[in-house]
This record gives sequence, structure tokens and C-alpha cells, in this order.
Amino acid sequence: MMVALRLELRRARGLILWLSVITVAYGATIAIFWPIMRDNAALLGDYMKLFPQGFLAAFGMEGSLADPGVFFNTYLGSWLWPILAALAAVMLATRPVAVDLEHGFLELPLSTSLSRTHYLLASVASQALALGILALVTVLGFWAAATAVGAPYDLDRMLIVAVLAWAFACAIAGVTSLVAVVTLSRAIAAGVVVAALLAMYLVNVVAQMQPDLADLARLSALYYFRPTPIIDEGAVPVGELGLYALVAGVGWLASLLAFRRRDLAA
Amino acid sequence: MSRQMSIVIQVSDLTKAYGSRRGIVEVTFDVADGETFGFLGPNGAGKTTTIRTLLGLLRPTAGQATIFGLDVWREAPDLHRRMAYLGSDPGYLPELTSAAQLDYLAHLRGLPRGAWRGLADRLELDPSIPTRKLSRGNRQKIGVVAAFMGHEPLMVMDEPTTGLDPLMQREFLGLVAEARAEGRTIFLSSHNLQEVERACERVAIIREGRLVDISTVAELLGEHWRSVNLVLAEPAPEGTFVLPNVRVVAVTGREVHVMVQGDVNPLLARIAALHVHDIAITTPDVEDLFLRHYHDEAPRDGSTSVGSSPTEAAR
Repeated sequence: MMVALRLELRRARGLILWLSVITVAYGATIAIFWPIMRDNAALLGDYMKLFPQGFLAAFGMEGSLADPGVFFNTYLGSWLWPILAALAAVMLATRPVAVDLEHGFLELPLSTSLSRTHYLLASVASQALALGILALVTVLGFWAAATAVGAPYDLDRMLIVAVLAWAFACAIAGVTSLVAVVTLSRAIAAGVVVAALLAMYLVNVVAQMQPDLADLARLSALYYFRPTPIIDEGAVPVGELGLYALVAGVGWLASLLAFRRRDLAA
Repeated sequence: MSRQMSIVIQVSDLTKAYGSRRGIVEVTFDVADGETFGFLGPNGAGKTTTIRTLLGLLRPTAGQATIFGLDVWREAPDLHRRMAYLGSDPGYLPELTSAAQLDYLAHLRGLPRGAWRGLADRLELDPSIPTRKLSRGNRQKIGVVAAFMGHEPLMVMDEPTTGLDPLMQREFLGLVAEARAEGRTIFLSSHNLQEVERACERVAIIREGRLVDISTVAELLGEHWRSVNLVLAEPAPEGTFVLPNVRVVAVTGREVHVMVQGDVNPLLARIAALHVHDIAITTPDVEDLFLRHYHDEAPRDGSTSVGSSPTEAAR
């Protein structure tokens, strides 16, 4: 199983490297603008009042952009991270089963003494590790640049944000893994997961705009990804972490059970 | 091959359906320890489905298949310890070199790093080139090297020489001969009929998901009709070729085309009485047998005799 895990990590290397470059470059560039936001908070506040509430909600603006938590959530947490997390999770979780079956690679390891369970476990472990690295690099890259320009971001709180970001990505990967095992198709699995995420994103935005629909937000995975209270108040999102962990765990476990019984024919 | 030897592969009424689509239907055969068994059929006949079922990648719809007494579905990882597999077009990872690919497979099979080097040299495979830059034939060499680098007692190969040039095909047959000499059991699926004829002791022919024939190569060839073409000095007297095992296909003046099954001596005795300018006797190869089965109207269950029609055999 360790041989399979090493290969999976090796194959994930390029994807994670390039996504890390994108997220660090973007996050660091944005972070160095924080002092400008702080110095012009009043003006920005007036400017933001011009926009409809829905627009601000769509971009996760829950207050002043001079607020460290709101600033992070606006520029990273509410849009870039969900996109990167979904992209990485879909690429990593569909490859070991759907893509490798289609390309004829899957039969090579599975014609050895490596069991289906161990093969997929190695893949799940590599997904979790790769997504963890991406979450950590994303958050720490932002933190390092922000700290360099004097923004008050606490490292311990940012690490909790990284853990939440990782759990969020793992939840997407777990569900994607299950859909990929069931459909044996990267295109279908990616389509289903991306469509579900888009739907949840819209539900989350609509729920914030319409108070009478506020409870609908709880159906959205994005509702539970809230870095602002962690950064501003040091709140530990135990419930959110538990929920994401549960979804990821159930998704991966169900995909393991399904994979053991699945016909593997391209 | 003595059928008293222990059975390595035992397949009984094995059926695999893909929903309403046919896969294989009630396939039954066994392969003895040390035997080289050929599995012939055109594309879509069910060869790969059979092999994928034997590998435990597909779950049988009905029937049973065991290898070394282990159920191919429930106990796949255990039986894979004693099996090497070579597919027709494995999807090697394009970003890895042949060396990395082979080391990965070697590790999974408990072989040391570099266990493949001698074979790679023999097959003139450059292990340092990424797979994406290799031709189809060179990619197939990776598979051949991977299959033969271990010493598993059973080898399962699905159209192993696809893409190999004639020299490498010959090298492959040499490797098969060495494996046979070591007493390894070989299950070889192919539509390269000469390859099967040269490598195998017994052959099964599958068509539209059903086995239509299982026999030794020697038996198949022995039962087949031979084609005899004669050019005579003058037309043969009427009734010259009327014999129980001879059928006249065509007589055109001094040229005669007859088919003979089994013992050729009575026919040769008649021919000896004639003034013959030229004679050609064509012995059928496995291709003739295969084509005859393939052109039959309906598949048949179980073993069948061959060469039932001189018209077909005359092709």
C-alpha cells in the first residue's frame, strides 16, 4: 500500500505545486493591499454601500474590508478557496478510479496482490495529504505576506482556518470519490459535484439576501466555511469541522465499499 | 498433455452480462499445471471479458472460476500473488519513465528494484524514456518485461504481441518457450493465430461470447481437410477420385482440386497411377479453423469437430 501511496503522491505533486503557486501569488498580492484598505476604511465603506446586498453577500463581505477576517473571507475564503478546493478535489478524487480505468492503468496494480481496498485507501490518503498541503500553503502564503505588511493576522488562528479549509476540501473529495466510483466517469463526477457546489453557492447567497429563507443556507456546504469568526475572535469551529469530517469520511467509506463490489470495465 | 495433471485454472459455466448486453455465456474450460493454453477469438468475441473476470476485475453473473483453487472474485489479491498479467494495451502513466513504471510494478509484486533490467536489455527497451514518448510497440515491451520479470507460476496474457515488430514477436515466443520449460502455466489470448499455433498446446475458440471449440492444436490440424491441387498430363479417367474421405471441388481439364480428410494414402495411391506435372497439398493452419468457426451461422456449445465442410475448408 505504501508503494501505491508514494506513486499517488508523486502524481499529485504537479497539480498541487501549480495550484499552490496560483494561490500564493494571488493571496500574497492581495494581502499586501490590506494597509490600503485599513487607511481608507471609511471611504471604502461608503463605496460599498453603493452595491446591492446580494452582490456583497456573493463575495462574502460581512463588514468592513479593513477587518482582517472580512478581508480574508472576501478575497480568499468565499471564492478562490472553494474554486481551488473543488478543482483539486475533483482532479485527485476522480483519477484513481475513473481516469485510471479509462486509460487502462487501473488493471496494472489490481492484477498484483494489491487489494482494491488498499489501492483506494492509498488514493484517499494521498488526496487528504495533497489537499492538506494546498490548504496550508494557501493560508500560510497569505499570512506571511499580510504579516510582512503589518496586518494583524494571528498564526494560530490562521492555522485553524487552514484546518477548516482542508476539511472543506476533503468533504468535496469524499463526495467526488463516491460519485466517481459509482459512475466510473471523471466528466460525470466532475459535472455532478460542480453543479452541486454551484447550487449550494447560490442557495447561500439567496439565503443571505432573503431573511425568510435564511435557514436554507444550512443546506449549503459554503455556509459552514466561515473564516471570519476564527480570524477575528479566535472561535474554533468544532461543529463545522465535525460536519465536514463526517461528510468526507462517509464519502470515502462509501466509495471504498462500492469500489470493492464494482465491476471495473471501461 | 496429460489431463491427470493438477488444474490451475478452472472455469465452469462462467457467464458475464453487462446489463442486457452479452459478455460471455456459459464458458467452461480448464488449464492444467504447466500447460500453455491459447484463447482465440475476434475483437468483441469475449476474450477480454473472460480475462477481466479471471483477474477479478469483473464479477461473474453466473458460474464459477477458480485459479489455484481460489475464487477469482472473492480471493483476487491472494491469487494475484501467483500470477503475472500482461494486457494488450496497458495505460502506463505518461509522465513516468519505463524504469519508474517497472519498479512500481516490481514493488507491488514483491520483486527487487531493477528486477527488469536483464529483460529490458534483451528486448532493447530504453528504460530512461518517459512512456509518453514511446511508440505503441515500445510501450508493449514494458508489458512484456513486466510480465516476465517475476517467477509467478501462472501468466495471463491478453494479446501480448500487439504492436510488436516481427523480431520482437519472435523474442516474445522465445520467452514463452522458456517459461514453459520452467513449468509455468500460460494463458494466452490472441487473434494472432500463428502465434497461438506456435506457442500453445491447446486452443479454445470463442465466438460471440461462447466457446465453440477446445482441442489440442495437433488434433485440430489432424481433423482438418487438406486441399490437394493437381496438374495432370492429361485429364484423369472418370471416378479416379471417388473415395470415402475425398471430395472433388473442381475438375477443369487437366487441373484437379480435391479435398481429403484424415488418411491421405488411398488418394496418393490413385494419384500415383497418373502422370502428374505438378501437385500442391496445403495443410491448414489455425487460421483456417478459426475462420471456419467464425463463418458458421450459429455458435455451438461445447467442443466440436472441425472441417465438416470441404467448401469451407477449401478457402
